[in-house]
Amino acid sequence: MVNTNEVVQEPRRVARRDVIKAFWNWFFFAQSSYNYERLQGMGVACYMAPILNKLYTKKEDIAAGLKRQMAFFNTEPSFGCLIHGVNIAMEEQKANGAPIGDEEINSLKTGLMGPMAGLGDSIIQGVITPILLAIGIGLAQKGSLVGPALFFVLETIAIVAISFAGWMQGYSRGREGITDLLRSGVLRKVLEYAGILGCGVLGALAAQFVSLSTPISMVSGTTTLKLQDMLDKVLPGLLPLALTLVVFYFVRKGKNANAILVALIVAGIVGAMLKIF
Amino acid sequence: MQIGLWQAIAVALLYYICQSPWLGCMLTFCTVYRPLIGGTLVGIILGQPVLGMTIGATMNLLYLGFISAGGSMPGDPALAGTLGVALAIASKLTTAEALALAVPVGLIGNLVWYAGMTVNTIWLHQADKYAEAGDGRKVMFMNIVPPQIFLFIICFFPVLLAMRVGPAVIGKIMENLSGQTLHVFTVIGGMLPALGIALNLKAIAKGSAFVFFILGFFMVMYLKLDVLPVSIFMGIATIVLYNLSRTSTSRGGDSNG
Repeated sequence: MVNTNEVVQEPRRVARRDVIKAFWNWFFFAQSSYNYERLQGMGVACYMAPILNKLYTKKEDIAAGLKRQMAFFNTEPSFGCLIHGVNIAMEEQKANGAPIGDEEINSLKTGLMGPMAGLGDSIIQGVITPILLAIGIGLAQKGSLVGPALFFVLETIAIVAISFAGWMQGYSRGREGITDLLRSGVLRKVLEYAGILGCGVLGALAAQFVSLSTPISMVSGTTTLKLQDMLDKVLPGLLPLALTLVVFYFVRKGKNANAILVALIVAGIVGAMLKIF
Repeated sequence: MQIGLWQAIAVALLYYICQSPWLGCMLTFCTVYRPLIGGTLVGIILGQPVLGMTIGATMNLLYLGFISAGGSMPGDPALAGTLGVALAIASKLTTAEALALAVPVGLIGNLVWYAGMTVNTIWLHQADKYAEAGDGRKVMFMNIVPPQIFLFIICFFPVLLAMRVGPAVIGKIMENLSGQTLHVFTVIGGMLPALGIALNLKAIAKGSAFVFFILGFFMVMYLKLDVLPVSIFMGIATIVLYNLSRTSTSRGGDSNG
């Protein structure tokens, strides 16, 4: 009796409503329990749990799915949505008998989390957020409450749109679609050019908001020579640029951000006390 | 300005919300977590929205290129933007003095991050057991409820305490600050945005993309442009470069084939 039931089983589908529910689950709780050991691993299992309950009836299958989805995972949460859409599509195929092993699901996730984190960090933290912040702060400093309001609204639209579109695209394209996308090299290209745009924006931010100048002056006869005026003639913004590049050098060497922060504070105190800055 | 108990509670609650996922994980991090928004909300709580916004905006400059990459955090903009702004308003600080406050407050806030990253492994191991038993609901529970209770405790109560005793302490410290000390903080305030920008740059600058950093910098310096127009020009240039590279690779492919 049990056997005949299994033979004529209908395909197990995840309803669109469940895919969207899983999206909001991830959107809110991706990093609710962020930890050193598996970072977003529990967040992945959290959105997948209701889907596993829909796909499987046997306790062992659900347990295996939960364990599979609780592996180490870390990416930028918004662009990372694409991965989770694919992840759900793969779980669905697997539940319907497709020959997909735990290994394949895990390697798809770990294979995509690097590129997606790169893309997300470049576009959201490197381009969208700093640009919108610069606009918002500019308005706020002129005393307009439109500044924070505008920043909040635009940022919300950008993040929700990117996350939701990625999630649904990932689910409808599935593994094949995403593998094609990866193989075509489009993703790597987009990442490369997002990096270019991000670098340009960061350069503008550095010029506008990093400030460092020197009050040092020399008196020769009747004229005072101000060092800062001379520097400005050589290259405007020389000191802020040099500072940013020095900090970048140490960051790139892998020095701890907090150590650099403390070093900057000490340099500022010493420099200001000695009247160098 | 005297801060009432309910206002102190509201600010402490706001700080928890800045750290929590209740407005969406990435959305919280990109909005209320930033002092521009946090400061405005604190201003609304204390009845001085414009003042809170202005102080928050200035503090936000320290964290302009703020980035979280690979699970490490350079400072805590949210604590500076909530507690820092509230104390600055309560103690009637100038913006330069408020910046001086933002630096140590932001550093202390880092503790919340590291505490969460460490303690949350407890719930993870608990969740592992429930996964083994196939109990998805309890796995979800472990991801959401215990870490948020813990986070609430370490966010809400210390900030509430700081809001009650802080203004008196800050007032005493600021009375003793000389003009020289304030100059020191203005200098530091000008230098610190370099750190966020450098961290951000490390995450996204690959290969020759770095020259565009220099380009962006001098577009502002020589052409006196704001960030937005530079971004627009850069965006157009990027699209053109992208299309050029695509046509050149496809042409290369033709000649090879």
